[in-house]
Order: sequence, then structure tokens, then C-alpha cells
Amino acid sequence: MNNKAFRLLAKPYFVWLYVLALVPVFVMLFLSFVKSEGISFDEMTVSLESFLLIKERSTLVAFRNSLLFALSTTVISMVIGYFVAYRVFKSKFNNKFLVLTILILPMWSNLLLRTEALGNIMEYNNIYTDLLSKAGINAGISIRGTSLAVLIGLVFTYLPFMILPIYTALEKISVRLEEASLDLGLTEFQTFWKVTFPLSLKGLISGSIMVFLPTLSGFAIPQILGKGNIILIGNVIEESFKNMNYNFGSLLAVIILFFIIGALLIINKVDKDGETLL
Amino acid sequence: MMKETKNYPKANLQDYGYKDRTRVNKYFKRFSIGLSVVVVLMMYLSVVTIAFQSVNSSTDISSFEGFTLKWYFNMFSNRSLKNAIVNTITVSVIATLLATVLGTLVAVGINAIEKKKRQHIMILNNIPVLNADIVTGISLMLIFSMLLPLFPYLFGPATLILAHLFFTMPYVVLSVLPKLRETDKFLMDAALDLGIRPYRALYKVIVPAIKAGIFSGMLLAFTMSIDDFVISYYNTGNGFDNLSIWIYGSIGRRSLTPSVYAFSTMVTLFTVLSLIGYQYLKTRRVKNEKH
Repeated sequence: MNNKAFRLLAKPYFVWLYVLALVPVFVMLFLSFVKSEGISFDEMTVSLESFLLIKERSTLVAFRNSLLFALSTTVISMVIGYFVAYRVFKSKFNNKFLVLTILILPMWSNLLLRTEALGNIMEYNNIYTDLLSKAGINAGISIRGTSLAVLIGLVFTYLPFMILPIYTALEKISVRLEEASLDLGLTEFQTFWKVTFPLSLKGLISGSIMVFLPTLSGFAIPQILGKGNIILIGNVIEESFKNMNYNFGSLLAVIILFFIIGALLIINKVDKDGETLL
Repeated sequence: MMKETKNYPKANLQDYGYKDRTRVNKYFKRFSIGLSVVVVLMMYLSVVTIAFQSVNSSTDISSFEGFTLKWYFNMFSNRSLKNAIVNTITVSVIATLLATVLGTLVAVGINAIEKKKRQHIMILNNIPVLNADIVTGISLMLIFSMLLPLFPYLFGPATLILAHLFFTMPYVVLSVLPKLRETDKFLMDAALDLGIRPYRALYKVIVPAIKAGIFSGMLLAFTMSIDDFVISYYNTGNGFDNLSIWIYGSIGRRSLTPSVYAFSTMVTLFTVLSLIGYQYLKTRRVKNEKH
């Protein structure tokens, strides 16, 4: 198995990852400190203009929005996700294949299309209210374009990424541990709090990171459901690359990268083998 | 003495700290079942709406006129949509196949190197998995832009496939490595002792042993590739749109045709049917083995 001839196979991958994953970080860092037209090196000057743009109100608001949305989405899906994962784990319905399928199936339709469909239902006039009004019931509510719409969209898009790791962690806990705890006189609630919950924490942390990071940096869902009323940091990055301001965009991307490095460190600490990650 | 013991009150469970929580537990259970059902319904609401709109004869998404299947028959008459679908499938299939083969070879290589180097490469391998899509997309775009003076028409199918290869390969590596670690350490030695060359042994002995890992890695890679929007958005060019980019553009122009809902519904139905078929075949095989 540990045939030395095979070591050669990993070498090109080292180079590939260095070039495509590490070099760009330095390019982005470099771009943050200069002023250039796109990425052309012709008229490049050292400048801290991008750092001044960060202090602008619109950028700060975008940062605050991103953090607020990412945190609230994570907390809400933590609570709901734990309930659902625990219920499935406790039920007799323990066919893991089926659980996975039910959770993953919606993800096989295009994300943007699902978001647009959800957005359409959030309009005052939609296909369901139309059917209801034909039956004589008027029940339209309009939330598209509000933060509530964005929050609902984010929670239900990323919830599977929270449920799956928690369920995987719960499934690995031996039934005997719970039985032992009950035999030793703890009540069911104490057993949950002192035995089951700490052992499932790994999944909860993995899940939180997998929900927090994409919501922090995403731009498509807030764009579609918020109708452009809600600007997140992802939208600002997208906008500045569209306007050929690579310098400001790079600086913001580097800031996002710091959050990701933080997440990598946490994952490395709680889940070394990445069992709950996949 | 006897009399005194008789005077003791009879102890019951409550005195030992037992609290009857059956009723609370019952309500709690009902609540959590209700919540789970609501969550699953919410997750499927958008898929159901897509299916509903795909059989609506009106192009107006806010009113239902009547049942029709015309969008299913007209699916490919919209040329830009047809191109986007063809592009998506081409890119995903090529990228997935490359990622599966290369990812498996890389995993074998990683498994053979010493521990310290292995941990190092695994951290690098996790970067594309955990990195924000927008950062990955921009990173690759910057690297490809630097090659523009050499290859002026670089952006297009080639960059898109390379980008997809970049973010799908780590998933294959992650699902193959654990399987490699589980296989018998002496399997390879046995094959070599029997006089086979290392790379032939890899193909004849190791690959069959890690088949399940390769397969699940391939499935993951394909799922990630076919649904990708942000990374593709930054790394395509020359009007080479994939489905996500096409949908994003159409939503912006408010010109989404119901044909795309029909396509999406068809894919979902196909997935459901093949999953059911797979489960059916599996249970039948298990039954046959028992007899």
C-alpha cells in the first residue's frame, strides 16, 4: 500500500493547489495595496484608496448586514436543525439512505431557480393566491424585498447542511451510553443534556460553519429575494469586480478569507478527520 | 420494634425524586414531529412550486390558467436555454470524470506519503472545500487573467472546466482517502509478491477495494459541479453560459421562460425514479440472497 512509487502521484497536486489556492491570496493582497485598471500592470500605482472605501457607510452597512444575516441564519438553523435531526435519530425510521435522500433531493434542482420560485410565492399576487381567489378566498401577503424574505430563503436553503452533520454525529453515539446513564439514575432530560448533547457538539459545530460561511459571502439569494433592497458584502464584492475595481474587491475578498481561516482552525480542532464534514 | 416499622409511611417513587414527565414528553414529541414535518414541507415548497409552474399554460407566473404539457415539448425550442443546458452537462460530465480519475490517483499518492507532508496537503486540500465560492471564483479568475497575454481567448469552456475540476477534486480525495486507510495494508504487498507491477496492481487490486469511495466522491463532485453558480460566473467567457448563469441573467431581465421549470421538474422526477429503482433492485437482491 505504501509503495513509494505512488508518492509521485501526489506531487502535481501540491503544485496545482499552490498555484490555484495559495498564489491568488497573495495576488489579492497585492491588489489591495495598489490602484490599477483591472489587473493590467501598465498603470499601477501604490495606493491605499481601497482602505478608505472600507470606511464608507455603505460598506460598513453591508458588513453589518452580512454578519447579522449569517449569525441569525446560523442560530435559527441550529435550533430547528437540532430538533429535526434529533427527531429523526430517535424515530424508528432509521433508514439513513432515505433520510439523506429526502434532505438532499431539493438540492438537485438549481439553487437560483428554487430561490426564484420561493420569491414568486412571496409576492402579493402568486400562483397559489390566484387559485385561492378563484375559490373565493383572498389571502395574499407580500414579503419579497424585505429582510424577512431573505432570512427565510437563507434558512431553508442551508438547513440541510446543518441537519446532516448533526444527524451523522448523533448516529455515531452508542445506545449503550444512554442506557447506562438512565440506569445510573439520570432522568431523560439530564441524559440528553449530559451525555447525548456533548457528544453531538462536533456535528453542531461543523454544521454551523457550513451554514455561516456561505451565508456570510453569498450574493445571489439576497439579490433575488431582497430585490436589491438588502446589500450584503457579497453584493459589494460582485459590484466592484463588475466595475473593474479589482483593488477594492480583492481587499474585501481577503477580509472574507480571514473568517474562512478562522473556520478552518475551528474545524481542525474539533473534527480532525473531517468525519462530519461530508 | 415490629410495631414501629409498621408506622412508617409507604414510600413512593416521587419521594426518590422521580417526576412523572410522560405528559410533557408526549407534548414535546408531538411538537418536534410537527416542526420536522413543517421543515420538510418548507424545503419542498420551492420544488413543488417549480413543478406547478411547469404545467401552467400561462407565461404569467402569478396566475394559473390551465393544465398544459407544452413547456415540456418546447423545452429545447428556446435556443439559449438549450445551449445553457448542453453546456452545463458537458462541463459537469468532463469535470466530474477528470476529477474522479485524477482525484483517486492523488488520494493514492497522498496515502503513500509520510504523515507530516500528508497533513500539510490535507490542509491545502480543504481550502477549496471550505472557501467561500466568491473568493474561489475570484482567485481562479485572477490566475486565469494573468495568463491572458499568452492566451487571449482563454476564458470560455476551458477555464470553466478547469475551475470545476479545481473545486470538485478535493471532494473525491476526501471520500477516497478513508477507504484507502480501511483497506488491508498487505493487499498491495501480496499483489506485488505474486509478480504484478505496481501500477497494474493499483488498477487490479486497490481500485476494486475502494470502489465505494470513488463512486460517492464522483456523485458529490457531479452534484457540486452541476449546481454551481458563483465560481462559474467569474470563470466563463465568450457567451458560454451554464444553466445557473443563464437563470441568473433571465431573472435579472425578468424573462424566465416556463421551459426551464419544465426542465428542472424533469430532472427531479428522473432523480426520484432512479433512486426508487435503485432501492427496489437492492432490496430484491437482498431477498434473493436470503433464499
